Amino acid sequence: MRPALKVMALLLAYPDEKVRRMLPEAANALRRSNALRPPMRAGIEAFIGDLLTVDPLEAEARYVDLFDRMRSLSLHLFEHVHGDSRARGQAMVDLGALYRRHGLEIAANELPDYLPLFLEFLALIPEDEAREHLVDSAEILAAIHGRLAKRQSPYAGLFAALLALAGRQTGAVDAIENDDDSPEAIDRAWEEAPVSFGPEGAPNEGGSCAKAAAMLSRMHATKDMVP
Amino acid sequence: MSHFLDRLMFFKRNVETFSDGHGVVTNEPRDWEDAYRQRWAHDRVVRSTHGTNCTGSCSWKIYVKGGIVTWETQQTDYPRTRPDMPNHEPRGCSRGASYSWYLYSANRLKYPMVRGRLLRMWREAKAKAGDPVAAWASIVEDPAKAKSYRSVRGLGGFVRANWAEAEEIVAAANVYTAKTFGPDRIIGFSPIPAMSMVSYAAGTRYLSLIGGVAMSFYDWYCDLPPSSPQTWGEQTDVPESADWYNSTFLIIWGSNVPQTRTPDAHFYTEVRYKGTKSVVITPDYSEASKFADLWLSPKQGTDAALAMAMGHVILKEFHVAGRSDYFQDYCRRFTDMPFLVRLIEKDGRYVPDRFVRASDFADNRGETNNPDWKPLVIDDATGWAVVPTGSVGFRWGEQGKWNLEMRNAATGVEVHPKLTLVDAHDDTLAVAFPYFGNRTHPYFAGTTHPDVLMRTVPVKRLALKDGETPVATVFDLLAANYGVDRGLGGEAARSYDDDVPYTPAWQERITGVKRQHVIATAREFATNADKTRGKSMIILGAAINHWYHGDMIYRAIINMLALCGCVGQSGGGWAHYVGQEKLRPQTGWTPLAFALDWHRPPRQMNSTSFFYAHTDQWRYESLGIKEILSPLADKSIEGSLIDFNVRAERMGWLPSAPQFDINPLKVAGDAAAAGKEPAAYVVEALKSGRLKLACEDPDNPRNFPRNLFVWRSNLLGSSGKGHEYFLKHLLGTQHGVQGKDLGAEGGVKPQEVAWHDPAPEGKLDLLVTIDFRMSTTCLYSDIVLPTATWYEKHDLNTSDMHPFIHPLSAAVDPVWESRSDWNIFKGIARRFSELCPGHLGVEKDLVLTPLMHDAPAELGQPFGPRDWRKGECEPVPGKTMPAIAVVERDYPNTYKKFTALGPLMVKVGNGGKGIAWNTEAEVKHLAELNGTVAEPGPSQGCPRIETDIDAAEIILTLAPETNGHVAVKAWAALGKATGREHTHLARAREDEQLRFRDLQAQPRKIISSPTWSGIESEKVSYTAGYTNVHEFIPWRTLTGRQQLYQDHAWMLAFGEGLCLYKPPVDTKTIEPMMNRRSNGEPEIALNFITPHQKWGIHSTYTDNLIMLTMSRGGPIVWLSEKDAAKIGVEDNDWIEAFNVNGALVARAVVSQRVKEGMVLMYHAQEKIVNVPGSEITGARGGIHNSVTRTCPKPTHMIGGYAQQSWGFNYHGTIGTNRDEFVIVRKMAKVDWLEGPAAAAAAE
Repeated sequence: MRPALKVMALLLAYPDEKVRRMLPEAANALRRSNALRPPMRAGIEAFIGDLLTVDPLEAEARYVDLFDRMRSLSLHLFEHVHGDSRARGQAMVDLGALYRRHGLEIAANELPDYLPLFLEFLALIPEDEAREHLVDSAEILAAIHGRLAKRQSPYAGLFAALLALAGRQTGAVDAIENDDDSPEAIDRAWEEAPVSFGPEGAPNEGGSCAKAAAMLSRMHATKDMVP
Repeated sequence: MSHFLDRLMFFKRNVETFSDGHGVVTNEPRDWEDAYRQRWAHDRVVRSTHGTNCTGSCSWKIYVKGGIVTWETQQTDYPRTRPDMPNHEPRGCSRGASYSWYLYSANRLKYPMVRGRLLRMWREAKAKAGDPVAAWASIVEDPAKAKSYRSVRGLGGFVRANWAEAEEIVAAANVYTAKTFGPDRIIGFSPIPAMSMVSYAAGTRYLSLIGGVAMSFYDWYCDLPPSSPQTWGEQTDVPESADWYNSTFLIIWGSNVPQTRTPDAHFYTEVRYKGTKSVVITPDYSEASKFADLWLSPKQGTDAALAMAMGHVILKEFHVAGRSDYFQDYCRRFTDMPFLVRLIEKDGRYVPDRFVRASDFADNRGETNNPDWKPLVIDDATGWAVVPTGSVGFRWGEQGKWNLEMRNAATGVEVHPKLTLVDAHDDTLAVAFPYFGNRTHPYFAGTTHPDVLMRTVPVKRLALKDGETPVATVFDLLAANYGVDRGLGGEAARSYDDDVPYTPAWQERITGVKRQHVIATAREFATNADKTRGKSMIILGAAINHWYHGDMIYRAIINMLALCGCVGQSGGGWAHYVGQEKLRPQTGWTPLAFALDWHRPPRQMNSTSFFYAHTDQWRYESLGIKEILSPLADKSIEGSLIDFNVRAERMGWLPSAPQFDINPLKVAGDAAAAGKEPAAYVVEALKSGRLKLACEDPDNPRNFPRNLFVWRSNLLGSSGKGHEYFLKHLLGTQHGVQGKDLGAEGGVKPQEVAWHDPAPEGKLDLLVTIDFRMSTTCLYSDIVLPTATWYEKHDLNTSDMHPFIHPLSAAVDPVWESRSDWNIFKGIARRFSELCPGHLGVEKDLVLTPLMHDAPAELGQPFGPRDWRKGECEPVPGKTMPAIAVVERDYPNTYKKFTALGPLMVKVGNGGKGIAWNTEAEVKHLAELNGTVAEPGPSQGCPRIETDIDAAEIILTLAPETNGHVAVKAWAALGKATGREHTHLARAREDEQLRFRDLQAQPRKIISSPTWSGIESEKVSYTAGYTNVHEFIPWRTLTGRQQLYQDHAWMLAFGEGLCLYKPPVDTKTIEPMMNRRSNGEPEIALNFITPHQKWGIHSTYTDNLIMLTMSRGGPIVWLSEKDAAKIGVEDNDWIEAFNVNGALVARAVVSQRVKEGMVLMYHAQEKIVNVPGSEITGARGGIHNSVTRTCPKPTHMIGGYAQQSWGFNYHGTIGTNRDEFVIVRKMAKVDWLEGPAAAAAAE
């Protein structure tokens, strides 16, 4: 599994000349690894083949248009968990500490939650632990996979492979992504529970406590997907 | 025994119970607490602020942990104000608080990016040519290649590049452009230097060194109120927010303080607890309205009518009735009201003309210096017309008499000037005043009064050089214009209920405000000012400033303040808070920013005229000059708006960029070849037509702007009025312009400008944007460079809202590949210098400069405009045409000059606003502080400016506001001109000198400086005009007083000698589109208003996810319930707003807050978030500026005339946008355009 993760780290990095030069080696490594089932492996090999033949600037522009432009396809994991919230900094600090505990320092000009960097880290640690981390981030990978598949991007295959490595079925997880953006669905998502006043809502009857508890449970349900 | 051993003498056990056994002390490990400790632990705390364009300048603590910014909190260590005055803190708002995560956001720009098509051609060309400059030439000189990348601007297709490559392309383009077309074809746009002044200076320093053009912003944003330079000779100067607390009657007029000045709003809340009454005047029920004791809701854009009616009440009850000695005394000394105006006969009627000048008398009244610029008053004691001290004629060419001591300049005897001749007239005359309130407009009600109003005015007859002439005081003309009855007969309002212009009854029909509210507000405002000596204040804002005739609204309000003696008094005055963003250490900053330490003069340009010409908005002009001329104007005045601008450029009133129709680096050579001095050569060549000004032919490829830098700005996403015209003509890409130009329409074409068919599309060779997020402007750029955020760089920040200077600090290094603006431009300068050999060496650059304000040139043209092109006068540089200077540029040494403080600071010194002082000591100090350059070359021995902190120290050391020694020198220099002692204002802080690290320790209060008209003191809050009123320093106007009468020939021609009411102009953008492109939904025309919002403006951007979540998550337009019902729109429906300029799409917010007849679309909601396709254009929906087109006003082009002279961001044409109408309708189909763009942009 570790070679496969290392290959994914390379393939998800910006396809500049340095990356392109390493592609044949990556293809070899992939061929020797049996972490992925043959059809999926063939897909990745095709992706590598495509990257080797397509016009380099076109490959770069394709990468920029997908991953440097859109929040929804960001390769920074915490973008999908914390967005622009205050919790993001601490999450990155914690992730950086994890790397350091494994004797690794970030040498690239990147943040700790950059997916290719994270994958290289997984390729360097024991497989069991790596799989655990990968499973933890499966929700995010699945979400990105769904969005890429919708665009029919060849990058979708890479995420399918990562999910396979995490032991997840792509078909099943894709359903998680709720694409219903009809006004009714948006309204449902944002609807607040009506507040009623009266004896049933009086604090000493446990009414407002019940309300607060309901609010809290709603908050907890949507909180903290940790990779 | 054992009992003894168990008994403790010196100890007690730490495991025991307490509180009657309810508590137990245990000995368990407490490691679990560490989780909480670590959560809030941090490595360091750094002070910074948020510098989009916010006047908050709020202090924030930025917490850093493991090299990552983890959170921020408000800092609360501002110096205290003083007893009886609330403190400034805590400052901050939800927008700033949501900023910190921008650093790591997906919106962040991480790498230098280049348009793929351009990069491919560049790499190929460079491989072939070898030389980068030749490579650039081979791309832009090939029309097919040039078009291939321009036509896909805005359509994606970026690839990452490395810094070296990006710098090389930019530098090669700059070298090529300077060499081929001229350095004045390299343009830079960056707004609001006060917010991060070093970052601003980085770009303008580079541009100024190579001869590029720095563009203004304040006028272009339409935040500059030209009424301020007209009245005070000052760009804008306003009270700090703490001074609101000193007011006892506050009018908030078209400003939304709680929403857009959030950190300051507490002073407004607090002063109401003190008992201050507050009247709020806004058409919509704004957040500010909720603070009101009385809320007035006039129809939008008609505020001048309301203010004129209030002025009518104040004049009648307080001045004509003689109720306030304070008002009379103030007006006599501090306004132009006692000054004499000639009345001349025109078409059988008397009309007010210009001020009487000393030179109108055969003996010049004994004045030998500038008699053309010395107006007169009547001395009450003797009845003689005398020349008082303090007018602009005393400012230049002599010393000691430029003050407001109100003495007879000839004798030195104190003068008591007559405000009115009503009791001492030789005669009364029927005088004609223009009236515009009857002009028809499809959506604004007018009245039926005649074009010309005849009013009776008391006059004196003076024996002038050209015969006996009737003259009147400004006060008498003002009162007559307001329709106030003076008991002299003729037509005037006998009562407030008379339907005579400008009574409270008259305004009802126009504004919809009840007359009794007008009368009560005016009366209370004036009564309060009389009792408190001027503590009535008007906070006014963009809602009333952005109109084409916003001058009239502002002047009507200024009149109220001047009539009540409020300006210059703490707690009173004119508080205009619209993008004014005060750069407090201004004179320390200008040498750094415009490279005045190496070359003078720099090239600067007014953006409105520039963009009007170069985005070809003039080709679509629909506003005819006859629609705005006074009924009393000469019938011979004609031309289109751009004609007036070209005339202004020729006469040296406004600047030009580009300047000549040939490369300015070649002119000096041509002169030498002809054996002539450059200036003499240019004059002759211009006269003969061999040489032309570029402004006469903006569509000629020789005169295109070629390279444009945009930094610290979102020109195309936020501030580009006429957005679609930018896209079409300047960028040459997909656009939404719906109308046809004058050529296709068969309209009347301009007289002064060459017309080309077809119109050029894609004038720019290179658009470089420097930003930290992928803004709309970045999307349209060829090269995007990632810059440091406000937590990743060192810089300085000041505001007019509080008196402190504040740092931006690098809490962490710039993430990814980003760099500070200072380092970006330094890198470009280095590469530029390296590429010069073989292309550019030591060159002579011929620079044109207009007749500048605060310089002797402002006395250029005392009488009537004369155009040398038409043979009306000789072209005389610096007098009847722009000044000419030859600047020697050592191009290969640009980098060395960029990184060192040049020798002119010692040789010539420093100064600002007409005051100059020696600065040798400060340069020596800087040499010790920053070290000196050791490497040989032009900068050897000069103080170094390597880092952003070095640059900050230059500013802090050279500025009087941050260096007490300089402050004392500056006041002493001003004292020579006024003949008065002012150094006492800074003596107490003479030894204080602020350094960058001091500011990081705590925001520091600046030192009083003559650059500003208020003082920093422990006794009064900062307020504008304070030193004019209390130190007798003249305003920088023709009369030296607050000038309510504007006597320039163009002001009179456009009917603005005195303030009056003008309805909005008809932009004619609706009729060609209304019901012609139906989608089946009903359509309605509504006035398009673009205020500032609470979810994005000033301290963060509209793509901030937290703020988007708090609003509607995408573009919105606010509609009234009534208008929504008319077109069947419900809240949250997708609607389209469009006119001939373009189209935008948004969701409707249907609200009772909005007044019928208007829509509100908050400013700067960008294309990049949730914008579907437009049914009108077929392309992605536009932004708020997609439906606007800028429309300049001739009176703003006036120059060479005292306060009406040009200055950078001081005076000039403004980008108005409030008069615009849009057609609004529900969308039939919402198309998100999610398929791939037609052509892959990287091909």
